[in-house]
Amino acid sequence: MKLDTSGLESTAPLFGSLSSGIHDEISAAPSFALPNTINFDGFQKEAIQMVKPAKGTTTLAFIFKEGVMVAADSRASMGGYISSQSVKKIIEINPYMLGTMAGGAADCQFWHRNLGIKCRLHELANKRRISVTGASKLLANILYSYRGMGLSVGTMIAGWDETGPGLYYVDSEGGRLKGTRFSVGSGSPYAYGVLDNGYRYDMSIEEAAELARRSIYHATFRDGASGGVASVYYVGPDGWKKLSGDDVGELHYHYYPVMPSTVEQEMVEVTGA
Amino acid sequence: MPQIFEYNGSALIAMVGKNCFAIASDRRLGVQLQTIATDFQRIYKVHDRLFLGLSGLATDAQTLYQRLVFRHKLYQLREERDMKPETFASLVSAILYEKRFGPYFCQPVIAGLGDEDKPFICTMDSIGAKELAKDFVVAGTASESLYGACESMFRPDMEPEDLFETVSQALLSSVDRDCLSGWGGHVYVVTPTEVKERILKGRMD
Amino acid sequence: MECVFGLVGNGFAIVVADSSAVHSILVHKSNEDKIMVLDSHKLIAASGEAGDRVQFTEYIQKNVALYQFRNGIPLTTAAAANFTRGELATALRKNPYSVNILLAGYDKETGPSLYYIDYIATLHKLDKGAFGYGSYFSLSMMDRHYHSGMSVEEAIDLVDKCILEIRSRLVVAPPNFVIKIVDKDGAREYAWRESVKDGAVSTA
Repeated sequence: MKLDTSGLESTAPLFGSLSSGIHDEISAAPSFALPNTINFDGFQKEAIQMVKPAKGTTTLAFIFKEGVMVAADSRASMGGYISSQSVKKIIEINPYMLGTMAGGAADCQFWHRNLGIKCRLHELANKRRISVTGASKLLANILYSYRGMGLSVGTMIAGWDETGPGLYYVDSEGGRLKGTRFSVGSGSPYAYGVLDNGYRYDMSIEEAAELARRSIYHATFRDGASGGVASVYYVGPDGWKKLSGDDVGELHYHYYPVMPSTVEQEMVEVTGA
Repeated sequence: MPQIFEYNGSALIAMVGKNCFAIASDRRLGVQLQTIATDFQRIYKVHDRLFLGLSGLATDAQTLYQRLVFRHKLYQLREERDMKPETFASLVSAILYEKRFGPYFCQPVIAGLGDEDKPFICTMDSIGAKELAKDFVVAGTASESLYGACESMFRPDMEPEDLFETVSQALLSSVDRDCLSGWGGHVYVVTPTEVKERILKGRMD
Repeated sequence: MECVFGLVGNGFAIVVADSSAVHSILVHKSNEDKIMVLDSHKLIAASGEAGDRVQFTEYIQKNVALYQFRNGIPLTTAAAANFTRGELATALRKNPYSVNILLAGYDKETGPSLYYIDYIATLHKLDKGAFGYGSYFSLSMMDRHYHSGMSVEEAIDLVDKCILEIRSRLVVAPPNFVIKIVDKDGAREYAWRESVKDGAVSTA
């Protein structure tokens, strides 16, 4: 059994021959073989357990005067175990667009890559870059078509197009929100705490980068499932640029150089008395 | 390990050296993934030559510690001497088994210097099954990583300075692979003449 | 949902609690004071099941008072915290109280202090702490802006930042908060932060 998703394909006409076999293969929405089983739901449940999505993450993005700032941590965890401290959670879709990764790593990577292809094809067909609005809608439509089948994606699409900076939140439940400030992942409430308070529209690039970095840092401090490296990207009129990638382990002692540690001594006496 | 042992998160290690031992723990107190404090104590001093580390549920670690201190003080009053590590291990085991059908959700690590300065280390499960070791014992949410680190880094008959370095490196590298423990470390190196306590800087994520 | 948080400043400790009494989808009242003045220099902010919260905090309050009557000296904050933990721990394996507590106090010798005691009786001394859904927002906010030796004005400013963040980001944010403070002059109510007036009850 095959799930046919070709109906979801972008209807933008392609220049050149439409009948080219190679072309079709690239432009057609991918379809997946479905398991040959009667109990599909049960199979799904088991399968999801096997490729358990890495849930712990902190990602954030916000629009400000100069463009969009995107930042993320780099930890991947399975339960309590840290499986990697160097995950690239900010995915470069094309030189003007970034996607962030929260939820299933494979799901995010695959569908962002897929989106990159679609965006490039759009560019070739229409001789202009796709808008952030359009790109995010493309992704949202695909994710929506797989709703309830166990995809796990929580992403932000950030970029610069003809209308200026753009930022959308898209998730595998089919949600798509336009906004100026988002944070996604288990550490997001902590990040919001710092981000909301420090946010101003007329920040400079340096201020915005520092706010993004600091928000990620505070989230990694409180959230066990976030950590590693705080990477910060900036998207401006000339496309995206990676501004920094700081090891959070060093960042902590940069923000708090001295460690006044006399408190716990008191605690010993209290419980010991 | 069942969920309840992972509620607060912990990493514990005790290692034997030449006429000395080291016991170390992480410093995090968390509620599942949320970090509450980074100056928590899991290692308690019973007397100058005997230390007790309690991994697992923090509340039970505190309760258990208070009960053990109480029993040890009674022993001191009655016998006019400190408990030997072996005796203390039996006491811990007995107190844990008392609660066979509603256990304390703790895995203790006991480390001490016995007669003729012979180091003693041991661990047990939450209902008191003793497990003696000659080299090292580990416990907590980071125990799997700790086993690996200790297995490769342990050398017999280390001097106190070497032992401190080994234990610290094993602890810090292990908690880097565990979401629920870390945020600094706490190391005690105990020799017949002195107790050295050091607080380790660690990754705060 | 419930939000309780607090911090220690220079010579004082502040605790804040929401003031909503909620039952499933119904808000019974929005000016319920969840911070009890334990004795002259102690505050106990509690969140949890309504019945347990009131019963337990009153029980602690009366026993602390009894100790003072019997011995002529008040319990220190550390002693009260350990007593509270003891009672929660004993109850834990019989019929547990589901209350989370922040205990703030001021002692002549040690100055202000704040203790974190959760419903399973984990005790820890903190500079800043929080319970409930509000903790996700207020903890990082306090981490960012807290420094040792804060003045009352700075602390209240930080508390207001936290309340603002909770109100704007938490789905089930409570409308009203009560702020109490304890310093060398004793424990007292500092202010209310109300966005909804509970007319029926407050006029009564």
